Amino acid sequence: MKYFKLQKDSQGIGSLIFDSPKSAANVFSSESMSELRTLLTILEQDAEIKALFIESAKEDIFIAGADINEIKMAKDAQQIDKFVKQGQDLFTQLENLPFPTIALIDGACLGGGLEMALACTYRIATSDERTRLGLPEVNLGLIPGFGGTQRLYPLLGYAKAMELIVGAKQLKGEKALKLGLVDACVPSGYLGFKKADFIRQILENNLDAKIKANRKGVRWYERISFTRNIIDAIAKKKIAQKTAGRYPAPLMAVEVMQSSFLKPLQEGLDIERKAEIQLALTSVSKNLIELFLISEELKRDSFSQSKPKQIKYSSVVGAGVMGSGIAWALNNQDVEVRLKVRTYESAAKTIQNIRRIYDGVIKRDRITTREVDLKMDRVSFTKEYKGFENMDFLLEAVSEDAALKEKVYAEFEEVLKPDCVIASNTSSISISDLARTLKHPNRFVGMHFFNPVNRMPLVEIIAGEKTDDETVATVVRLAKQLGKTPIKIKDSAGFLVNRVLLPYLQEAVMMFEEGEDMQSVDKALLNFGMPMGPFTLIDTVGVDVGESVSKILHNAYGERIQPSPLMKQMVEKRWLGKKTKKGFYDYAAKEVVPNLELLAFASGSASISQEGVVNRAILIMINEASRCLEENVVDNARYLDMAMVMGTGFPAFRGGLMRYADEIGAAKIVKSLRELQATLGDRFAPSQLLLAMEKNNTNFYGDLS
Amino acid sequence: MKNERIAIISGLRTPMAKAGGKFKNLQADTLGARLVRELMMESPIDFAEVDEVIIGNVSQPVHAANVARVIALRAGFPESTPAMTVNRNCASGMQSITSAASKIHAGEGKIYLCGGVESMSNIPFIYNKNMTSLFEQLSKSKTSLDRMRTIFGFRPAHLKPIVGLMSGLTDPVSGLMMGSTAEILVRDFGISRTEQDEFSLKSHEKALKAKNSGRFAQESAPIVYDEINGEYLDYDDGIREGLTLEKLSRLNPFFDRKNGTVTAANSSQITDAAAAVILMSESEAKSRGLTPLGYLANFSYQGLDPRRMGLGPVYATRDLFKKTGLGMKDIDLIEINEAFASQVIACQKAFESETFAKTHFGDDKAVGAINPDILNVNGGSIALGHPVGMTGTRLVITLLRELQNRGLQRGLATLCIGGGQGVALLLEAK
Repeated sequence: MKYFKLQKDSQGIGSLIFDSPKSAANVFSSESMSELRTLLTILEQDAEIKALFIESAKEDIFIAGADINEIKMAKDAQQIDKFVKQGQDLFTQLENLPFPTIALIDGACLGGGLEMALACTYRIATSDERTRLGLPEVNLGLIPGFGGTQRLYPLLGYAKAMELIVGAKQLKGEKALKLGLVDACVPSGYLGFKKADFIRQILENNLDAKIKANRKGVRWYERISFTRNIIDAIAKKKIAQKTAGRYPAPLMAVEVMQSSFLKPLQEGLDIERKAEIQLALTSVSKNLIELFLISEELKRDSFSQSKPKQIKYSSVVGAGVMGSGIAWALNNQDVEVRLKVRTYESAAKTIQNIRRIYDGVIKRDRITTREVDLKMDRVSFTKEYKGFENMDFLLEAVSEDAALKEKVYAEFEEVLKPDCVIASNTSSISISDLARTLKHPNRFVGMHFFNPVNRMPLVEIIAGEKTDDETVATVVRLAKQLGKTPIKIKDSAGFLVNRVLLPYLQEAVMMFEEGEDMQSVDKALLNFGMPMGPFTLIDTVGVDVGESVSKILHNAYGERIQPSPLMKQMVEKRWLGKKTKKGFYDYAAKEVVPNLELLAFASGSASISQEGVVNRAILIMINEASRCLEENVVDNARYLDMAMVMGTGFPAFRGGLMRYADEIGAAKIVKSLRELQATLGDRFAPSQLLLAMEKNNTNFYGDLS
Repeated sequence: MKNERIAIISGLRTPMAKAGGKFKNLQADTLGARLVRELMMESPIDFAEVDEVIIGNVSQPVHAANVARVIALRAGFPESTPAMTVNRNCASGMQSITSAASKIHAGEGKIYLCGGVESMSNIPFIYNKNMTSLFEQLSKSKTSLDRMRTIFGFRPAHLKPIVGLMSGLTDPVSGLMMGSTAEILVRDFGISRTEQDEFSLKSHEKALKAKNSGRFAQESAPIVYDEINGEYLDYDDGIREGLTLEKLSRLNPFFDRKNGTVTAANSSQITDAAAAVILMSESEAKSRGLTPLGYLANFSYQGLDPRRMGLGPVYATRDLFKKTGLGMKDIDLIEINEAFASQVIACQKAFESETFAKTHFGDDKAVGAINPDILNVNGGSIALGHPVGMTGTRLVITLLRELQNRGLQRGLATLCIGGGQGVALLLEAK
């Protein structure tokens, strides 16, 4: 057997151990499922077996779920139907075995893994940190398809089951026991005792009564359709708030649960399967699965061949908002962090900022006050670079001013040991340029975090001409250690995200100048799926910041990116956005309204359709992004998409900017760009790459058949 | 101490914060951990190189019995680094240093992190015996009738707390509060109220000068004491500006309200603070190419009448001189802890008195007169405060710093110890 090992002891207690070869995780592929089917068929006829434990040989994983690649590869409804049916039948067979089965869950038990456990007679989980139980299928635009919508509610009750599936919630062992999802929960060290205890009780035949009391089951009031309708309505309302109707899977989960409630199992499974087939064929699901696979790929990519350096002592120079956020991220992962400050006031302020981020984490019950107090012990500060000779890593986050940065570099390079890695959080200045004055430019690298650091997962890693591979390896690993997703970007003006995003913001501003209503531009792009309208976004980032980035991009890329005269005037008037309470919008009152004084600058009287707004704003991004690929600013379109989704909140259901472009097709994009070029100017001139793609009939993802 | 000198590599203290004030929400372990961490971060010694952490502390926090271990772990020492707390009352902050010195000489270890910490704000009030037995009785009561009976036994007097701070500052053998032992010295040596107030005023004046010149900033690290509101302290907040003799004379005596002379203002202040130093043998420092802050050359502890504990410095210093063959003329700077103005004045008088030397030690000449110009040149605990477990370490740091600043060589740091002891350390700059 390739995937499973079967053991049997003299008492007739069997153990089925899942151990996928050459993989850190166990997943249900059609191959592993058919092997399990063979085994179950043998076991069915084994009269000696009194009970069967199902375990995993993997370190941190029980069963991670169904094989995503197989769902991705499925081309049509028939293939999906076959795969889903195989899983459903397999778990029904497991459920019908003539002896009790017990899932021993010590590690991640997700999706298909939990659905298998639900088909067992009993479930024992460990209370260890690694143990998580959940049905996260909706995150991939799917619903649980191997019986999850059918076997969960009889244990937890209708409302709790709904919450778990629709919210894609993951539970720790103790919580799962409380809800009745598992029948026992012990620390992994006691698992052997608990197992023996179960065996004894099974042999004595007195297990059921005790266990049933803990399974709350369907509540009496949930049997009334009126109450169930209320539960559904609440769930749907929450879904609407979270997804704005863009993600069909959670709604489908509600429907499946409602329409199959208390129906015979097979009937329910059929409803579930039909819904799953429908979802798996949507572009939303395909896009979400693709993004998931890209994120897995990024986790493995070290963007370097060298061994990363050990970082024990880290430091942050420049303690503004970004500096505080990065210091928090380091401290949160127990990397020692030391702040270089100009005044003790700013040290206290930074510590206050760090504490505030933690307070938010405390509120979400992710950490206790005691733990935070202990973490705060590890933040220290100095005005004079005292102790910086011990540092392994220094992150510079002083203001975006090359001269200032160079002055600060000269200061700390005096003190640092020559192999201390120095990273600049610059968002726009070239790393090779900044490295010019350094004595050891090989250990200097760009590490561009996004604001707010505690919530934004993307880090652009920028290697300058002289940056060595070991330095890249070190910061890539550090970023991953901080729970971030690093993507290596070529050292060029604006790097990737800002370079692609800025033309989009400017296009919005130009539409406003032409006379288009700013709220309707914001609305059109919100409807497209952007998390924030462009004007709101500029106000949040700061009009001054946007203006200075546009200058940098203009200097580097010339005519096609023109600094906006309107934004320049806004900077002069100190209409900088939220921070000065006035930008494109006016934030002085409780209700945010457009800054009426700006109307004087909107000379035109254009009225652009919602479609036209989206067309201009998104196409100009696609055009710039295609130039980035042309210039190898980023390794591939997949990484570019992930960067845009993580760095700008580009809608995940669209799969990313390039994926969206592929959906439109190069020919149509080139045609639209040419039309825009004719009326609005050369900034819309299609890139070489797009022209070539049009000619050769290829696409960004390279999967055009 | 016959062996080689102990090098004090570096030292640091927190600002001195009046008890019940800025540091009141920092328990001793937090205060200690943050300070020790800063000292280690600035130092060329890695946490893992330290053989043991020894911290002096008198009123050990209820939640952190061996406070040194809690400090060590929170400051970032590896779990494998052992830690112990030492308590010799007011000399605890020196005990940690001399304990380490003895361990280095015994070859037990090479590098030690020593210090002292006291959060006098957090010395608890304790339920009195009657109340605790009532609680015990209540937990033993089985029926509700029993419970009622016990509850009816409650009297308001049960709520009168034992004030931990007051108990801690009372000598259980003589039954005297520390201030009352100071009053005994007043009577023994005929020290006037004005003499005491003048001494106290000078302490404040000297400390204020040191504060304003940045002298204290040299030896201390700021502490962010309120993270939520981003508040920090970077100066010693007990030092009074605009103090006059007249203002001092207005205060009522605290310990003997009828006839006494010792007031809250001519006694040391109740304060929260922490201090720490890194120690190793002189040869170890040399081989590492380090330039120490100074050296511990010798030390002595002596016992005496608990009712006159304030004279401890005289006893310990005499012994130290006997051991080393040195005399007062060889000392460049002196720190005598200012537990009470009267107590330091009494020491000065006893130091220069032949009669005292004869009666108490059987010596034919005085231990040695003190030149007031070299005594407590930056003020003392009357202005800065006396966090009991911490002061010993502070005196070592401040004395060595001052020897360095003035280019002088030899210093004497001495303390009186509640319960009737004295300690004297011979420190050298080079």
